[in-house]
Amino acid sequence: MNRHSIVKGKLICVALNDSEQLSAMQQEFSEAPYKAPPTQPVLYFKPHNTWNTQAATIDWPSTGGPLYVGASLAVVVATKCTRVSAEQALEYVAGFSILHDFSLQEKSYYRPDIKGKCLDGTAPLGAKVTPIDQVSDLSALSVITEVNGELASEFPLSQMQRSVPELISSISYIMTLEPGDVIAVGFKGERILLNKGDKVCSAIAGVTELSNQVAG
Amino acid sequence: MKRARVLHNNVELDISIDTDNRLLDADGVELNEQDVTWLCPVKEPGTIFALGLNYADHASELSFAPPTEPLVFLKGANTLTGHKQNAYRPDNIEFQHYECELVAVIGKAGKNISREDAMEHIQGYTVCNDFAIRDFLENYYRPNLRVKSRDSLCPIGPWIIDREDVGDISNLALTTHVNGELTQSGTTADMIFDLPFLIEYLSEIMTLQPGDMIATGTPKGLKDMQPGDVVVCEIEKVGALQTHIVSEQQFYGDQY
Repeated sequence: MNRHSIVKGKLICVALNDSEQLSAMQQEFSEAPYKAPPTQPVLYFKPHNTWNTQAATIDWPSTGGPLYVGASLAVVVATKCTRVSAEQALEYVAGFSILHDFSLQEKSYYRPDIKGKCLDGTAPLGAKVTPIDQVSDLSALSVITEVNGELASEFPLSQMQRSVPELISSISYIMTLEPGDVIAVGFKGERILLNKGDKVCSAIAGVTELSNQVAG
Repeated sequence: MKRARVLHNNVELDISIDTDNRLLDADGVELNEQDVTWLCPVKEPGTIFALGLNYADHASELSFAPPTEPLVFLKGANTLTGHKQNAYRPDNIEFQHYECELVAVIGKAGKNISREDAMEHIQGYTVCNDFAIRDFLENYYRPNLRVKSRDSLCPIGPWIIDREDVGDISNLALTTHVNGELTQSGTTADMIFDLPFLIEYLSEIMTLQPGDMIATGTPKGLKDMQPGDVVVCEIEKVGALQTHIVSEQQFYGDQY
């Protein structure tokens, strides 16, 4: 197992944080089984067996796929953080990296998706943490993903339904965050369909980048 | 053998509990229970799996049809606390209930483990109380982390008892007492998906590692909890786990 040096404790991902996706799905989310749009951040864990690194090769699912990827800004927690306000939240952040979440197709958000999201090695994180004082304005940045050198996805961070400080605050009222915990704060709603052998490179200009290849 | 972890004079110790329920340190010196703080018995907690609706009577109590495939969710290690420790009731909620569950602790790594080989991967068993806050349920990744991944709301222990010492787990009595009153009574015989099935199912998806835990679900018998309540979750041959409910303000103190 390829243990990552940056994640020490929990790797928390935020789903449904793309405001365009949320508005496009309003009707579906008002119907069963959801019955109402989410009122809180929609969170899931990528457990220990998923943690992986820059340049790691990602196994093709033994179920045969299809395999998808999403990329997110990853917030690395610096100090223990319990019940903090959004105003204070960034004081607890060491810096930023980038996460790839490789998963099976997500057909429903109703139940936890263990089968789709917990495959071994499917959560690689960038090799370094860019200190928070080197990043001036998150909302001006975009997460860009290229597959085999071609633009596949662009997600402006200004499109996030909930901001980084809001998310840290909300999560810290549920669970104490510890140094080395990582939060992937938002993915573009539409994930990228992959083929065997694809090379996936994501970058946040001036902050961080991450490359992985799907096994052939 | 029963193995536990305690804090004693500000030092974390691995201890064992003998057949006379004496607490013994690594050198066999007896410790007075009054001098220790019980910790989570798993030293390096791995992935914490929990099962929803895994007892037919509990599923019907919640007006759900029993699942045809395991409903598995993950919990953060922040939820874990030891025997005789505090767990909190969040402010401004209507319904918080306990869930007494048999927990298998994985001792040997494996992927694609067959049902026949599954039990060899279990080091031992413990008890957890997988509290739920029903007010916080939303229909996204239900049961969502806000319900099931809160600080202190998965007490576990008091110890891990070796698998061989428990033997057959297919019909163990499971009870919960609140303030001395019996409020939940069931048996592991009513579990829908048993541990061999769950280990085969999970290890087909992912590699199981030592320190991973599988909390196997709870039978019927829900009851609201209030600060001041003392809850004891007990599983025959495994152990009795005691938890003290406090308010959110009492629990967080200066951080409230």
